[in-house]
Amino acid sequence: MPAMSEPVDKVAGRIADVAADCGIALVASLPDGWITPLITQFDRDARFRHVAVNREESAIGLCSGAFFGGIGAFALMGASGFLTCIYAITKINYTYQIPLLIGITLRGRPGDRAKFHQSNGLYLEPVIRSIDMPFVAIERGDDIARLATAYRHSRVLSRPVVVGFTREVLRGEA
Amino acid sequence: MNFEACFRLLADRLKHDVIVTSAGNCSEVWWEITRETERVFYLEASMSLASLFAAGIALGSPERTVIAFSGDGAFCMNPGMLLVERQLALPNLKHFMVSNRCYGSTNDLAHPFGDFVDYAALAKASGVERVYSFSTVEGLGQGLDDMIRVPGHAFAVLEVEPLGRHAPSPPLDGPEVKFRFGRYLERTGGRPVFDAPLDPK
Repeated sequence: MPAMSEPVDKVAGRIADVAADCGIALVASLPDGWITPLITQFDRDARFRHVAVNREESAIGLCSGAFFGGIGAFALMGASGFLTCIYAITKINYTYQIPLLIGITLRGRPGDRAKFHQSNGLYLEPVIRSIDMPFVAIERGDDIARLATAYRHSRVLSRPVVVGFTREVLRGEA
Repeated sequence: MNFEACFRLLADRLKHDVIVTSAGNCSEVWWEITRETERVFYLEASMSLASLFAAGIALGSPERTVIAFSGDGAFCMNPGMLLVERQLALPNLKHFMVSNRCYGSTNDLAHPFGDFVDYAALAKASGVERVYSFSTVEGLGQGLDDMIRVPGHAFAVLEVEPLGRHAPSPPLDGPEVKFRFGRYLERTGGRPVFDAPLDPK
């Protein structure tokens, strides 16, 4: 893994601090290039049990069960992986009204040069809206605290809430 | 072995453990035999996530034994679940995979996988250390305590015959399952599940 720049380290640390402070103790993840430093942060941070799962749906299952274990959980993944989870989210979290905080990358927005992510730019947010899932964009450093708001909202709502990180935030540029 | 005889033995012996059943025959037959509504989470239609859902419960409830049932149809959708289970290595997670070689929830439509896949070998190759395979009720009765009561993550294949009939699903809406199950865990010594626990006083 390439060495992390200082801003990236600091951003990952700030996100981890907010997550820990609001009660998250379990992080289940599958990587996206944008969140590799963040996953590394969670993995080496003793405040969290980090579980690298085999596919994104497994994060939904594990974190949903953790609710009943009394553990605050965060499912962290890329935008593409999130789109594979619609069935699991609607069948588990919507049917049983189980809260869950999901973190994703906002792939496909202007500035993302990866052609294979452009479909996310077109369809990611419309899909989120189509299943009435509350969406919190984290587009500036000052927005990171909204992760805690989103976590609490998922518990009040008894449904999942998704937070989306821009590349600029994750790189410490916004 | 006969599906119902297998589940009757399990229901008779697993009286105090937390249970997560997957969609179809696992939920239907457990409900039919036990009519339980509190220590059982009927996770219907998760398409392979029952054992990892159970793992999340087990992670926060180290004092309990948590038992997951997967059908072989669900298992084949996501055999990588075993890799995550192995990574977690939760000593209180016990996973039964019910192999009836068909999709029991959809009129016993056959699937071909059980004819050539050795599920127990798959689990061993995934690094799971304690793997069992039961094809008779007698064998299950003899080996069950070792699997369940000896600490350590364990995976068992239950080789059963197709149920051969329709069985009704538990008549519980999702939120009712959630609250009955969550309140049971809270009442019996688990960590608080809900943000506003019921006060028994």
